[in-house]
Amino acid sequence: MLSRNFRLQKVGDLSWLKNNYDFSHISYSIDELVVLDVSRGTRDLNMFTEALRTLSQGCFVPIAAGGGVNSVETAFKLLRSGADKIIVNTPLYDDSNLLRSLSEEFGQQCVVGSVDVKMGPENSYSCWSNCGQSEVTGNAAELLKKIFDKPIGEVYINSMDRDGTGQGLDLGLLDLLPQNVGKPVILAGGVGNADHLADGFNDERVDAVATANLFNFVGSGLRDARQCLISMGIVLPLWDIQKLEERLGIGESRDSNID
Amino acid sequence: MEAEIYNSMSKRKVTIVDYGMGNIWSVISALNYLNVEVKVSDSPKEILLSETLLLPGVGSFRKAMDTLRRLNLDRAIIDSVQGKQHKILGICLGMQLLGSGSTEDGETLGLNLFPAHVDKFSEEKLGTLKVPHTGFDQVEADSDSKLFRGIKSNSDFYFVHSYRMLSDNLSGGKAECDYGERFLAAYEKDNVYATQFHPEKSQTNGLILLQNFMEI
Repeated sequence: MLSRNFRLQKVGDLSWLKNNYDFSHISYSIDELVVLDVSRGTRDLNMFTEALRTLSQGCFVPIAAGGGVNSVETAFKLLRSGADKIIVNTPLYDDSNLLRSLSEEFGQQCVVGSVDVKMGPENSYSCWSNCGQSEVTGNAAELLKKIFDKPIGEVYINSMDRDGTGQGLDLGLLDLLPQNVGKPVILAGGVGNADHLADGFNDERVDAVATANLFNFVGSGLRDARQCLISMGIVLPLWDIQKLEERLGIGESRDSNID
Repeated sequence: MEAEIYNSMSKRKVTIVDYGMGNIWSVISALNYLNVEVKVSDSPKEILLSETLLLPGVGSFRKAMDTLRRLNLDRAIIDSVQGKQHKILGICLGMQLLGSGSTEDGETLGLNLFPAHVDKFSEEKLGTLKVPHTGFDQVEADSDSKLFRGIKSNSDFYFVHSYRMLSDNLSGGKAECDYGERFLAAYEKDNVYATQFHPEKSQTNGLILLQNFMEI
């Protein structure tokens, strides 16, 4: 598990997550889980799929996984380990063949394009690939227009400037989007509280908001944030946690784990 | 009486029909979470003998039926469900396979365990709605549904599909979802149960539904 707090910072491995949080309970507060292997340099696919398997055992929502997906085989391994969707970043700019193969093999709805965007020195945005290490040549809005035309099902836009800061989403990124996009947009980077999530949901160009911050570092933060959004009138899927716990006879023991 | 006590204490079991299509890892995880003993099998004999079956699936209807036939699993499922009255839950493509047939990739016959046909969403009715129908959406079930016992009406479940069944002229318990048109989100009659959505990806709503199915 990594927190992108200005710089990548290791906060702990999976057992850390499991020991500190009852993950299945955290997962009750989300509609979808994004799992990224953000290792730079050599990636260990087996370790990543193992982590994915562990996470997916207690998480009953769709899971999108990625980081280093460079072949149909890699994607297939992730899908066999609990992922429902594959996230790609660098191939959006340099490997149209891979995108085509992935969509032919698994369907467009299975492929999520992840776009890292950063504000440049001259007050203009640019896109970055290779785990945010390489700046992609070209105007960010034009690159995004091309990305929306690729055979992918969703676009995940992350503000590298805000990522890990908890200072709120960069809604300016939305002005880079083409008009009337036909694909869901997930906005990420900077969410630190429920109001930040609401800022995203209240913009009609946004279909979903992603956060790692609340999820990783605040005990019941995510659960409370979801409740808060629902009480603000934001339409989110509803589910009854208590009823399941009653049926399974697990309520008490689980509750004591999360606070 | 003794047998009853034995049954209530023994771990519930389910056999997942494995024909190589779809993410069975998620279904297995959900069932394990519910303390169900899971067997994954592509053996016609085992499927014939299993009292509770689950047919998952994601992908093409035609390819799935071809595979089921090649492995002789089509006959095994029909004999187990119709002959031996074992209960079955079809999920997503698994639900569609239990129907009479599909127009996906050319007309293909299904297992015909209930008389509903699979067709593409009507483009006319979709308007600006996108296909595949992806994401959480509300499902309205009959109030006496066994699958939806204890689940509030209009609860959300997770869908990913481009083809759908309609509930017109269908007898049995039904649940519907609205996506440009009302389509069949779940079905139950006698020992045949099916959901177009993925209960294993539908949070606690889906877990409760799977638990309900195991308890029927």
